[in-house]
Amino acid sequence: MIGDILTVAVLRSGIRLATPIALAAIGGALCFRAGVLNFALEGMMLVGAFTAIVAAFWTGSTYLGVLAAVAAGGLIGAIFAFFYLRYRVDLIIMALAINLFIAEMTVYFLRTFFGAFGSWSDPSIRQLPDIAIPGLDRLPILGTLLSSHNIIVYASWIAGVAAYIVLFRTKFGRHIRAVGENQSAAETVGISVPAVKLFVLVTSGCLAALGGAFLSVGHLTLFTRDMSNGRGWLGVTAALFGLNHPVFVLFAGLFFGIADAIAVRLQTVTTIPPSLVQFLPNIAAIVALVLVGLSGRLRWGTLRLRTRPPQPMAEQVDAKGP
Amino acid sequence: MHAPIDGRALHHAAQGSTGADHSGPPLAVEMIGITKYFPSSEVLANDRVDFAVEAGEVHALVGENGAGKTTLMNVLFGLVAPDAGAIAVDGRPVRIHHPDEAIRLGIGMVHQHFKLVPSFTVAENILLGMEPTRYGFTARAAETARVRGLESEFGLPVDPAARVGDLPVSLQQRVEILKTLQRDARILILDEPTAVLTPQEAQELFGVIRGLADRGRTVIFITHKLLEVVEVAHRVSVMRRGRMIGTKPIADTNVRELARMMIGREVLFRVSKLPAQPGDPVLEVDRLTVNRQEGIPAVSDLSLRVRAGEIVGIAGVSGNGQSELVEAITGLRPAAGGTIRLLGRPITRLPVWDRRARGMAHIPEDRLTMGLNLHTTLDENVVVSRYREPQFAHLGLLVREKIRSLAEWVIRQFSVAAARPGEDIATLSGGNLQKVVLGRELSGEPRCIIANQPTRGLDVGSIEFVHQTLIDARDRGVAVLLVSVELDEILALADRILVLFRGRIVGELDAARAAEEELGILMAGGTLETAS
Amino acid sequence: MTPRRRGQILDALLIPILAILSGLALASVFVLLSKTSPLVAYRELFHAGFGCATLTRCALFTTLERATPLIFTGLSAVVAFRSGMFSIGQEGQFVLGAMVAAWLGYGVHLPPVVHPTVILILAMAVGAAYAYLPAILKLRLGVNEIITTIIFNNIAILFMTYLVNFPMRATRGSTAVTPVIDASAQLPEFLPGSHWGAGFILAILAVAFIWGYLWRSVPGYEQRMAGEAPGFARYGGIRSGRAALRGMLISGALAGMAGAIEVLGVHHQVLQGFSVGLGFDGVLVAILGQVHPIGVLMVAVLFAGIRLGAQIGLQITTNIPRELGGGILALIILFVAARSLYTDLLAWVARITGRGAAPRKEAA
Repeated sequence: MIGDILTVAVLRSGIRLATPIALAAIGGALCFRAGVLNFALEGMMLVGAFTAIVAAFWTGSTYLGVLAAVAAGGLIGAIFAFFYLRYRVDLIIMALAINLFIAEMTVYFLRTFFGAFGSWSDPSIRQLPDIAIPGLDRLPILGTLLSSHNIIVYASWIAGVAAYIVLFRTKFGRHIRAVGENQSAAETVGISVPAVKLFVLVTSGCLAALGGAFLSVGHLTLFTRDMSNGRGWLGVTAALFGLNHPVFVLFAGLFFGIADAIAVRLQTVTTIPPSLVQFLPNIAAIVALVLVGLSGRLRWGTLRLRTRPPQPMAEQVDAKGP
Repeated sequence: MHAPIDGRALHHAAQGSTGADHSGPPLAVEMIGITKYFPSSEVLANDRVDFAVEAGEVHALVGENGAGKTTLMNVLFGLVAPDAGAIAVDGRPVRIHHPDEAIRLGIGMVHQHFKLVPSFTVAENILLGMEPTRYGFTARAAETARVRGLESEFGLPVDPAARVGDLPVSLQQRVEILKTLQRDARILILDEPTAVLTPQEAQELFGVIRGLADRGRTVIFITHKLLEVVEVAHRVSVMRRGRMIGTKPIADTNVRELARMMIGREVLFRVSKLPAQPGDPVLEVDRLTVNRQEGIPAVSDLSLRVRAGEIVGIAGVSGNGQSELVEAITGLRPAAGGTIRLLGRPITRLPVWDRRARGMAHIPEDRLTMGLNLHTTLDENVVVSRYREPQFAHLGLLVREKIRSLAEWVIRQFSVAAARPGEDIATLSGGNLQKVVLGRELSGEPRCIIANQPTRGLDVGSIEFVHQTLIDARDRGVAVLLVSVELDEILALADRILVLFRGRIVGELDAARAAEEELGILMAGGTLETAS
Repeated sequence: MTPRRRGQILDALLIPILAILSGLALASVFVLLSKTSPLVAYRELFHAGFGCATLTRCALFTTLERATPLIFTGLSAVVAFRSGMFSIGQEGQFVLGAMVAAWLGYGVHLPPVVHPTVILILAMAVGAAYAYLPAILKLRLGVNEIITTIIFNNIAILFMTYLVNFPMRATRGSTAVTPVIDASAQLPEFLPGSHWGAGFILAILAVAFIWGYLWRSVPGYEQRMAGEAPGFARYGGIRSGRAALRGMLISGALAGMAGAIEVLGVHHQVLQGFSVGLGFDGVLVAILGQVHPIGVLMVAVLFAGIRLGAQIGLQITTNIPRELGGGILALIILFVAARSLYTDLLAWVARITGRGAAPRKEAA
């Protein structure tokens, strides 16, 4: 039974399905390291999925579509940063607004421009090609698992390692961590806190949108309403589960990807209804969060996200008022 | 009596002159007419303040809490934008909008709350923002070498690889000083540097400050402890309520005069009070152990008792277990061992509300986040410890008239200025906020008051009010446990003094005969035998 | 009433109005993309959302019908937020409440009045139980409640999809729906042909009840203190954890009740994709409504009207996709959150008109 489910094909599919989650999670981890709560990863991913396929259709090049998606995600990140830094907008409220806006407006554009309702595709759009890694693809099992993926899958691995190097081996990464841990310490030595926050928000937007592009032109060649379907939130969870360490976060993403792949596999080899099988990644996420919570009790306290519910604004305004 | 500001540089700048014809070396810092108003708190923090510091001197800037010292220095360091005024550094007029610009001018600031990243190493903190790199990557070896170089240049030893979060406060302070020196600071601002140090550590710091002055650095030293000023400074400037009162060479003044300048009248070094008439024990703490974190004790095997009608003072340097002790007694933190009794009944495991119902009152260390809820009205603030009483809650509903009259009583009895019961409490000033806390805690006729740093951040008038309130309570037969890092306060109020060091009581002194020196030795972990 | 208090209320009303106008203005760019005049589109939107020609053709009644679940989910969010819990789990609790109502509506046969009463109580219990889990995870392990409630929403929706497709599926028909509930369980309606009815009355009662609970009752006092100033609450002897848990249970019960009322009063069955974000909209209603029951009441009507207007007025009359309604709402939230923008704007206007500094700048 287990052998039926945990096949090499399922693991390979898990690696692919992990891609969007891992990309969002790396972006999320960068933000959390800088002390910025980015709960807009879901919307950023969705905007990437939408932009990628539309741009691929208009330009005729899937790669240009992917680039456009990355730019769109970065733009959302920049808008997010602008309101946050300039108008001190509550990050969570703005994330909720951005997620809603993107979820609604992608469908709006789909209907306005293409007259499509639930989903849209066009035969002219080509899927991102898989690229075999010479040498690696001839190895048994390992070749099947790690080779012949499309460029976004490889990009997610590179992004994890690159984020690790930036955070822990460069000057700028050290500044990011300093801003996250003690903002005023960073400020007083002349580190530009707004620049750091702008950077992490834009980068996380690019990464999450790249994950979205994977969904619409890498994994499939279509766009459906709400295509990200909670993967951005799984990204947030994976960042926490991976202790905001980019390499661990990659594996946390893989954990959810494999849970997802098993769910897909279960649908084919068993008669369990799909909606029940899809519990799996969600349950996995809850388990991951509980583990993080338990470890938080063991002195990894920095991983706790501190969020405060919205306050009535009259009180906020007057808290310091005359 | 006005500061000897000569206005050399600024005067010449205004004239368009090159400023080459003045006598003597240029002043390190000259500030003229600095004015800063904070609209949010309606405080005029600096009112046309003039301030001048000569190069190579140790200049003390003294004043009470809220006198405007820190604001003035924040203006100099580019953290606060003044509404008016001019600044010259090394004889050149400058505008400082950002700490970056201050650093470039050779100004460094060691803040009261250290600006350190706890998970970073000493070297990483010292070099933050100016890390040496190799092929674009951070280079550990080069960092260590740089820190070692600083160490030997200034004679301030540190371990470059130690995590800052694991270091004691005095070493963290040293890291902060090295951080400014690494940035070539020639003018160092130290904001209340001794507040977190034992007297012995403070002595060590004075040595460091003298060493810096010997090496030609200028040190501005903010404090409100006048004895320190006389000991280490060359000149002293005194501020009061946003105004500069005067600047004097240390040789021409004394503590008494400085105190008068600071407060505006002769200080009462002792609050007048009758001898205590202690009664039966009210609060008994037996072999109490309290953990800071799982398995790490902050208070160990501590015993004390407070009788009705006496004030027992706990002296000690901040961070020696005071907070944990108070939290354990008041029920905010579990005791890991030992017992606590109130009026003979064990309360060790009782919840906060039950202890309060049995007559315990608590004046917390942090009145803004613990003592008060600034998001709501005065009414809802005064009832928080008593809302369970039947007069305030009936059938699960709040009895608003009764709560209102309680609020009115507090306002009247404790003369809380400008307050009305239904108003949001955030409009009140610091002193009035503390009066609300006092009023609430004393309203229920407590048998025992735990007061933790009850005058922190208050102005003189409010401090006197708090002191008088505690003495009155004592005279009515209330047992008072006073925890304070201000030795003066302990000496003025307490009938008996216990010294807390690393979570243990290391000495007990009769307040009438205790000398500050003795207390200092005990607070630093010494014993009286070795001292004598 | 002091001038200060008046200022607060003015702020609470003025900023949302400015935000609504800004949201509409910005959204008109997107309207232009579909080659319609924004003025025409907005006239249609408001006509279809808030217009009332005759008693039988009154859009406002439909809007009030649709505002009913939003009032409940909005109140649910208010109670949670006011206890210091940023719960956005209303969607999941709503869905489970709806499933309870659908199941007991056809599965159990009881006399009128008793039937819906029993159903509502059980739906509240289920909603509360579902809110208990994230609350406990937060209080015991410090797991962030925003993330857990979102995941719990997913799980509840998947569970509903499963139930509607398999165990609870009505046998006939190609679409997945549950059987229609008994007439005895259905809530009465004010007017024939409209589902505006008893549910709305319950919603108004809930607004009054929650207001009284939060500002007049002892547990409400406790949970507000715990939510506003956790350190203060602990210091005063309030058991903050319990207060927050109580807040979450009430929050869950309200959302569960919303789901049940939606089934008993409007749809009388559950079909796949039943809750189109009614729970999530409740969170936004609470934020826009100043985390206050009265604000929730007003904003819920606004939300429902814009959604309805977008669906009927835009999509059907002018052929503009109805998703524009949601887009407008998102922009309104954004502008409310970025309210210091308006003080900046005022300062800018004052500067270019040469009247010196804006008087309100310091208030922000």
